[in-house]
Amino acid sequence: MAGKRAARHDEGQAVGKVATVVLPADCRIAAQAALQAELAQALQGGAIELDGSQVERVDTAALQLLVLLRRALDGCSGTLAWRGSSAALNDAAGLLGLARILELPAVGPA
Amino acid sequence: MAKILAVDDSASMRGMVAFTLRGAGHEVTEAENGQLALEAASTDAFDLVLADVNMPVMDGIAMVRAFRAKPEYQGVPILMLTTESNTEKKMEGKAAGATGWLVKPFDPEQLLATVKRVLG
Amino acid sequence: MAAVDLTQFHKTFFEESVEGLDAMEAALLALDSGSTDHELVHTIFRAAHSIKGGAATFGFTDVAAFTHVAESLLEEVRSERRVVDATLTDLLLRSVDCMRAMLDRTAQGQPAADANSEALRVELAQLVEGKTAAVAVATKSKAEVVAGWDIRFVARPHLLQTGNEPLRLFRELQQLGRLEVLRAFITDAAPAEFAAIDPGQCYLGWELRLHGAVARPDLDALFEWLDGDCDLTIAAVPAPQEVAAPAPAPSAAAPAVAAPAAAPAGTREVSASGSAEGGSIRVGIDKVDALIDMMGELVITQSMLNDIGTNFELSQLERLREGLAQLERNTRELQDSVMRIRMLPIGSVFNRFPRLVRDLERKLGKQVRLELQGEQTELDKTVLEKIGDPLVHLVRNAIDHGLEVPEQRRAAGKPETGTLTLDAHHEGGNIVVRISDDGAGLNRERILAKAVERGLVPPGQQLSDDEVAELIFQPGFSTAAVATDLSGRGVGMDVVRRNVHDLGGSVGVKSVAGKGSVFTIALPLTLAIIDGLVTAVGEERYIVPLISIVESLRLGADTVRKIAGGGEVFKFRGEYLPMIRLHRAFGCPNAIAEIERGIVVVVEDDGQRVGLLVDELLGQQQAVIKSLEKHYERVQGVSGATIVSDGSVALIVDVGGVVRLGRRIKAA
Repeated sequence: MAGKRAARHDEGQAVGKVATVVLPADCRIAAQAALQAELAQALQGGAIELDGSQVERVDTAALQLLVLLRRALDGCSGTLAWRGSSAALNDAAGLLGLARILELPAVGPA
Repeated sequence: MAKILAVDDSASMRGMVAFTLRGAGHEVTEAENGQLALEAASTDAFDLVLADVNMPVMDGIAMVRAFRAKPEYQGVPILMLTTESNTEKKMEGKAAGATGWLVKPFDPEQLLATVKRVLG
Repeated sequence: MAAVDLTQFHKTFFEESVEGLDAMEAALLALDSGSTDHELVHTIFRAAHSIKGGAATFGFTDVAAFTHVAESLLEEVRSERRVVDATLTDLLLRSVDCMRAMLDRTAQGQPAADANSEALRVELAQLVEGKTAAVAVATKSKAEVVAGWDIRFVARPHLLQTGNEPLRLFRELQQLGRLEVLRAFITDAAPAEFAAIDPGQCYLGWELRLHGAVARPDLDALFEWLDGDCDLTIAAVPAPQEVAAPAPAPSAAAPAVAAPAAAPAGTREVSASGSAEGGSIRVGIDKVDALIDMMGELVITQSMLNDIGTNFELSQLERLREGLAQLERNTRELQDSVMRIRMLPIGSVFNRFPRLVRDLERKLGKQVRLELQGEQTELDKTVLEKIGDPLVHLVRNAIDHGLEVPEQRRAAGKPETGTLTLDAHHEGGNIVVRISDDGAGLNRERILAKAVERGLVPPGQQLSDDEVAELIFQPGFSTAAVATDLSGRGVGMDVVRRNVHDLGGSVGVKSVAGKGSVFTIALPLTLAIIDGLVTAVGEERYIVPLISIVESLRLGADTVRKIAGGGEVFKFRGEYLPMIRLHRAFGCPNAIAEIERGIVVVVEDDGQRVGLLVDELLGQQQAVIKSLEKHYERVQGVSGATIVSDGSVALIVDVGGVVRLGRRIKAA
């Protein structure tokens, strides 16, 4: 389902409305400052598409940043969509109970 | 397997830790004190640091503080190898930014279990 | 996995432990000689800590148990909860020796602990007791029957900085039971602006439910590392059908930790030195029996006096006098017996020397035969505890400086093996400990040269042999230059003298060139009771220890001469002695200021004499010394207080301190 939605937003990006941000393979605390800058930039447009398909390692700091992004988008009636998400990302989000907020497929407990 | 930095001024303890971890397939670098550990960390990225508290030159507490000041070591687990009699030291270590501790004495099995725990 | 063979690390462990002990010993001795370098304490602690950790890891449980107590004690020192004094360094040096021996035995595959190490361990444990006893033992009992746990876990912002990753924590929780995230939320600590967020901080909180009959300790163990990094509430989810799960009983089931007997509070009271530590004492049954005998006699005397008192007639006066005399005798005997309880044989201190001598022999390439005499001689416990270090210093000194290397001895026509004798015996009211060697004797020229170099004597001054020998006890004489040849152990003879002084004793040396030296330490039988001369100074009473008194005399007004610097001297047996007006020294009002109206008590300490001006002599009395330092600051020239026969308080003159005051006058 998420994949389908991502495809649609891909077209949108060409019009300059939706910004796509690719999450790095090592998406842990040390990578968050750079990611935050990129997301803050993307936030200007109000619509963000995340590509989490390459994520191999992820931690709470990363998921937290995404949750806070979600909150910021909600605050300005923006939209968040996924172009893809790796198993590692889904797993971690599920475990922390953040999958629903992030609209990721829920895995793990919850 | 993980890259682990083992820091202890006691050659026997260090040897035991390194030997055990290598046996489990980890890549272990040894350092005699905090200062040397920091030097090792500046040229190598470790997934985990195991450090004695009481060491000459730079002790474990100061070392943890120095590690946490490096952006690339913000979230890296650092375990203090400490003794039960040292509750205050545990807290001091925590305040400096240590992840947790492994209480001495520990046997190889306990060491591996704890390492597994922090490496997730 | 298969057990890892750790024996390959044993040799390294023994080697580093021996090095650690050497460093520890050196640091202890440096501390003992007055260094306040805090790094020394760290060095000592680190050594004990490493040995303990290693010993426990490699399964040398006896060594680990012993070093554990030593380490606990050192931790108190390191955190400045305990002051380093001579008793403590003495105890720790003994512990070093003990650990060495234990490691030796372990290396040879023998059991590490023996009676000595056990006794010492108990001694150490008693010092740290109360603190260790308070360490709670984790109660693993009382498995609460629960259906699960409700956990509210709110990260504090710095959580991630400690490397504690909630993801990992949640995985661990999953290992215990099924984990359900009821709610995840952003805390108020999070900045509203996305750009203002510090991504290294944590702004998340969770409400979790862990399903299953998980034991609380297992749960606590997971959160142990997070103490201070999060706000945590854990509540049990009661098991359905279960009638009110029993509340955990106050840990009555906790296994008792070896709870050492409380130190008898009384010992502290009698201790003249006012040493801060309690400690217990082992008393021979014969001493207790003697006490009981004495009590029996006292009861007889009392009933006899009762008889006389009930129907007293003047004709019975003689019997009353007899009875009172008997009471006095009984009291004195009882006092002696009570004091004897505190007496322990000096052998326990002597015992450490064979090893020390052996070590030094090896280190210095000398051959030494150690002779111990009078090991049964008993000393007051406090004295005994504090005499160890001065003796160690003297023994080291004798072997290092006194005894020659075998070639030199052969050349001097002496046997290659030198003899060092430690001997203790009673002499008058004192215990005398002698350390004699048949070495080269004090080197007069070298001592003189060094004293001149150090500015202790002017160049060209004529000094007798005794005066030259006396120089080695002067502060500033023994400095690093002398001490370095003892593998860096900086110990001065002035420290030895000071330590002995603190015990109310004296130390001196006689030396014959080429034949050897004899150091003599004279110690009071007990620190707690002295025979004193009660004197009046204005409205106050001062007690001068009888043992220090040379003579009391009345002087003419013109016999006292003022000297430069404001001091006064008077001539006594052909020698000018400093005059200390006690009323001035101690600030007593309404005292006699005219020399000819007062009395001068000439006292001696360490061969030095001074005159003390008092108003009058009131008589002799045995004084039980009460330490002042527990309640008041230390006063120069006063060693304690006591109650005199009329019930008032008198101060006891510290003759050593007063003589030092006098020396300043003389030097001025």
